[in-house]
Amino acid sequence: MERILQRDSGALETLYDRYGRPVYSLVLRIAQNPASAEEIVQDIFLQLWRSADRFQISRGPLEPWLFTMARNRALDFLRLKREKQRRREDSDSDILPSAVVCPDPEGDIDQSRRAEKIRALMTSLPEPQRRAIELAFFEGMSHSEIAAATGEALGTVKSWIRGGLLRLRESLGEASS
Amino acid sequence: MNCEQLAALYEEYALRVLDGEERAELEAHLARTGDKCIQGVSEARWLVAQLAHAAPDAQPPAALRGKILDAVKPTADSSRAVVPLEKPKAPEPRGMFPAWAWVAAAALALITGYTIRQMNNQNAQLAELRKEMKLATAQNQALQNQLDMNRMVAMVMMSPDSVPLKLMPKDSKMPMIHTYLHPHMGVAITADQMPSMPSARTLQLWIVPKSGVPVSVAIFHPDAAGEIALVAPVNMSKNEIAALAVTDEPAGGSPQPTTPIAWMAQVN
Repeated sequence: MERILQRDSGALETLYDRYGRPVYSLVLRIAQNPASAEEIVQDIFLQLWRSADRFQISRGPLEPWLFTMARNRALDFLRLKREKQRRREDSDSDILPSAVVCPDPEGDIDQSRRAEKIRALMTSLPEPQRRAIELAFFEGMSHSEIAAATGEALGTVKSWIRGGLLRLRESLGEASS
Repeated sequence: MNCEQLAALYEEYALRVLDGEERAELEAHLARTGDKCIQGVSEARWLVAQLAHAAPDAQPPAALRGKILDAVKPTADSSRAVVPLEKPKAPEPRGMFPAWAWVAAAALALITGYTIRQMNNQNAQLAELRKEMKLATAQNQALQNQLDMNRMVAMVMMSPDSVPLKLMPKDSKMPMIHTYLHPHMGVAITADQMPSMPSARTLQLWIVPKSGVPVSVAIFHPDAAGEIALVAPVNMSKNEIAALAVTDEPAGGSPQPTTPIAWMAQVN
């Protein structure tokens, strides 16, 4: 990030080579449209370039900050699309994410190992629970929207999501120890 | 609900899955209380962000990399060639066309010319509107960024775990810089009435450890109003820190201080 602050485009190149693929994968999963995903990812990296000085606060854990921004952007895109369809008001946009604190930024497990852990965890979850978490994370749905979409009771949806997040925390806790 | 009860909701809040009432209650609580809950939410955001790895792996288009890098190269965008509009060719004079055909051709040329002019005007207006929209978006973004930063500074300042320190200027004409050192959130610095600085120079904040060389924490510049508000991470415990110091460095900062200390605060 120091190099980006010095307007070194090579640094942005390095960042893109490292995070471009997972960020694009995430945005494409949410936006479900390659052309829009491309546009959103381009915006994200250009925003990183323009707002590098504001990023200082999250200098350690860049990856989750980037993922949070990518998710917010892609969900905003999705909402706009839905708004157009439903003519519904929902303007809770959070373009730049707030601070993301990595519990153990330095001794953290590496990116690929963590990615493997997450994928393994998601595969191990019962299908309805995995679906509920996917609807929340990738579709930006709330508890009640998931309950409506899946036809499950609100309490069941809440307990699936809470349980899933708990397992995620435990899994990453194990992986980093 | 109290902190302990709401702590169970941090991750669901970070996932943005909470419905109106629960979400509003948690947000009101975060606004009321200090850093304990906000720290919890920040950690929850980290955890939730990891779910990004559950997205199926996809290769971005090869051209995307080039587009991004071209956009940050200053000359890449500005020299796009303008293709001139092809002027309608004047009909070659041929004696065989009757007079009415010439009149019709002239009228057609006039109408075409008028239409092209109108289109150009509309394109210019559209481009102007787009420019204004971009500017408004950028201003909005800048305000949002400023707001985020000010929130972070306020969080660190208000935290009971923060240690306030005064960075005293070596030059008595300079204002004091207020510093708040937090064990987890880093260091917040605020100041006002700072003199303006040339763009080729920057201020750089250093941690001076009890043993070893100074470590760079942040580079910063007073804004147009002479104010500074910044939070930067600190990867060292307070007990290891002897002092905080600020030096005046070339733009972009230096690996080690190159000028005498301009502000300093003893920590231990």
